Amino acid sequence: MRRYLVARLLQSLGVVVFVTTFAFIMVHLAPGDPFDAALSRPNIPESVREQWRVSYGLDRPLSEQYARWLGNTAHGDLGYSFSHRRPVRDVFGDAIPNTLLLSGIGLVLSFAIGIGVGLLQAERPRSARDRWLGRVLLVLYSVPDFWLALVILILFAYRIPLFPAGGMKDPVLYDYLSPGGRLLDRLRHIVLPVATLALLTAAGVARYQRNSLMTVLPSDWMRTALAKGLSWKAAVRRHAFRNALLPTITLFGLSVPAFATGAIFVEKVFSWPGMGLVVVDAIAARDYPLVTSGVMVMSVLVAACALVADLAVAAADPRVRLG
Amino acid sequence: MHRFPRLSARQAHLTAGLSMACLAALACKGTETATSAGPADIGGTLVITTPADLGTLLPPLIERITDRQATDLLYDRLADIGDNLNSIGDKGFKPQLAERWEWAPDSLSIAFHLNPHAKWHDGIPVRASDVRYSVNLIKDPALASPAASLITNIDSVAVRDSLTAVVFFKRHTPEQFYDLVYQVAILPEHVLGNTPAAKLKESEVGRRGIGSGRFRLAKWEPGSKIELIADTANYRGRAKLDRVIFSIAPDFNGAVTRFFAGDADLFENIRPEHLSRFTGDTTRRTQRYPTLQYTDFLMNMKDPKAPGMPHPVFGERAVRRALAMATDRRAMLKNAFDTVGQPLYGPFPHMSPVADTTLPQIAYDTTKAKALLDSAGWTPGPDGTRVKNGHRLEFAISVPNSSAARKQYATLLQDAFRRVGAAATVDLSDYPTYMSKLTTHTFDAQLGNYAPDPGVSNFKQTWSTSSTGKDGSNYGSYSNALVDALLDSATATFDPARTKAYARRAFETIIEDAPAIWLYEPPTVMGISKRVHTTFLRADGYWSGIADWWIPAGERSARDKIGLRPTP
Repeated sequence: MRRYLVARLLQSLGVVVFVTTFAFIMVHLAPGDPFDAALSRPNIPESVREQWRVSYGLDRPLSEQYARWLGNTAHGDLGYSFSHRRPVRDVFGDAIPNTLLLSGIGLVLSFAIGIGVGLLQAERPRSARDRWLGRVLLVLYSVPDFWLALVILILFAYRIPLFPAGGMKDPVLYDYLSPGGRLLDRLRHIVLPVATLALLTAAGVARYQRNSLMTVLPSDWMRTALAKGLSWKAAVRRHAFRNALLPTITLFGLSVPAFATGAIFVEKVFSWPGMGLVVVDAIAARDYPLVTSGVMVMSVLVAACALVADLAVAAADPRVRLG
Repeated sequence: MHRFPRLSARQAHLTAGLSMACLAALACKGTETATSAGPADIGGTLVITTPADLGTLLPPLIERITDRQATDLLYDRLADIGDNLNSIGDKGFKPQLAERWEWAPDSLSIAFHLNPHAKWHDGIPVRASDVRYSVNLIKDPALASPAASLITNIDSVAVRDSLTAVVFFKRHTPEQFYDLVYQVAILPEHVLGNTPAAKLKESEVGRRGIGSGRFRLAKWEPGSKIELIADTANYRGRAKLDRVIFSIAPDFNGAVTRFFAGDADLFENIRPEHLSRFTGDTTRRTQRYPTLQYTDFLMNMKDPKAPGMPHPVFGERAVRRALAMATDRRAMLKNAFDTVGQPLYGPFPHMSPVADTTLPQIAYDTTKAKALLDSAGWTPGPDGTRVKNGHRLEFAISVPNSSAARKQYATLLQDAFRRVGAAATVDLSDYPTYMSKLTTHTFDAQLGNYAPDPGVSNFKQTWSTSSTGKDGSNYGSYSNALVDALLDSATATFDPARTKAYARRAFETIIEDAPAIWLYEPPTVMGISKRVHTTFLRADGYWSGIADWWIPAGERSARDKIGLRPTP
């Protein structure tokens, strides 16, 4: 087990270094630089731009810039964001909690809904309920995320104005609300983005869960459970469901980094200042330190979550042996 | 001329549609006649939805329009440009931090007498040494301020006494006063002075926003909002509004929904397709606002593949003129903006102080265009594209993919050019790539959107031969000795009428040379809550008068009524 862990950690480290290096090179090779991209005033003399490039070391060879970035990162210094005019660490310090809040709730909710719906379908396979739920899920699974986000926003913030139209809190009144009022305000602002995320992801999870259940339903142990007098519903819930959860655990593990690194379109449409938005804007602004550090954070999360998912599956399924 | 494409999120996204016709009607209908606010009308909150966060609160380092919006409200200048944007002499300029000023007999220095009541937002009085610090800071190479090149004529600042700053100039020029007061916001030395100029860009003090304007910074939540509140003890009088909040909504549709849902009071980029929503709306209206923006089809005189050599297509005046003749600008304007499009008459927006919309234009005439190309030796090839000395009449039009209007225009131009035998391809790229091509002159032609400063000298930066180098904004490398001389004269005379006359002749020559095809001024319409009463909207920034906007006491909503209570 220990050997397996060490090997996986080394493997993960390799992946992180490779992905980060690749991102570093690609963003530097892209046309333009932070002082072309971030500026809306091209009248700024080229000599001034040159001075800025020199002051941030962008005039140095790529290998030297990379070595310096690597060295600084090893010392915990992620660099300075040109577009935010703040240390990258501070930018992430603001964005990551926002994303974790949105994505944490969204992830739990989407898996809860997805697993529940998958179970409902598998309990009565090929029934009208199964077919209708399948159709609804297919539609939800197929719609583009930005489109669904916009539809939900327009529907529930404008046509039927039940919720605020974006942001994390009321820009004016929040500071003047009671603690309870603030909590309510936060909840009102998070409902629509979380609902969008949950709907988008739950559709995939439900299909995954249903298929997983359909695979285990013909198993011998299901026949045994039924022969012992258990009802079909009880057999599905007590035996098949638990066995069918294993692939879903893996899916959950792999979904965590995707959620934790930000749901770009949902964050953008709902003006939620999270990681996805920060990194995408950084790419457009050629904000090299922010892009590279963002990719690094994401790759660390992917590697860590994949490892945790494998360990969770091993813990849940005695047939799986690691190492 | 300062040419800077607008922020991508704000770029003209207007597209054709039936609803365009009602834009003008609604916009005009919504324009209010400002009356004045009474004492009871002090208060209220204005929420402006904006597409991007601020980059900085230090005026010498601003790069984006959002930066300018906030810093214009936080920091005062010595004087403010007048509503007619005159930049010659000091006519029309209104006192701000300087309550009066005196010119030296030789006009090489101006003594500014500061308002003794002026204080920084932290309560410290504004002093003449702050003026000296502000000018020296911009000129300090260590800061690398984009504004440094705009105030090179300022020699030094002397502090005569704590309330008198004397600014010395190297030369007496018509725009020396404008150069100083328009480009230099006065900064607090006691806040910033202890931080080396080279460190200010990254320093926390640069984010404090302590100025002397009628609004002061209350809160900056990165990615979410910037909140300014009225400086109640301000020497120029308290702002009528309690607070202005720039609420950040990066997605266009999200921002529009936020406005129509009532979560924001002002959205500055209303599109035609949203106009029907204003019909019968009792709480919102539209309002057109003037700007200095314009869009042209700029041709590169130099070959991007062979630096120093003329462009194989655009190096030839006859080709440029023929392409201009092939362009039905009015039809394109109608196609893209229906009735609300504002035609462009030359290298200037119509709100420019030296604009002249009566200048003779190259008329649309495809027959003449073909004849001109024929006579220049460009003969139709087998596929219809003209050829001369083995060169095909083909080129790429560089367009940023973030601008719907410019993408549409690129297609229209492509079709127009094809009709006279020119093959144009549309080179769509993301904004940084587009900008990189522009600043490195590695493009054939490009559709650019510009927002120049009001000063006449800006035209030299865009069209004079001396601005074709790496520090200039003459990206098309246009060069004409007559234009150089005329622009020199325009910027050397102290008589505004003569300035305009020289500028007119320069523009006339440029139009004849056709280094660009003058396309349009983007229609600028804001959606605004009916309870918000505006004042005069200046073309260089509608926000310049926000401190005098007001919300009548009887029309206030819940968010207007919180007053200036401190945050619990």
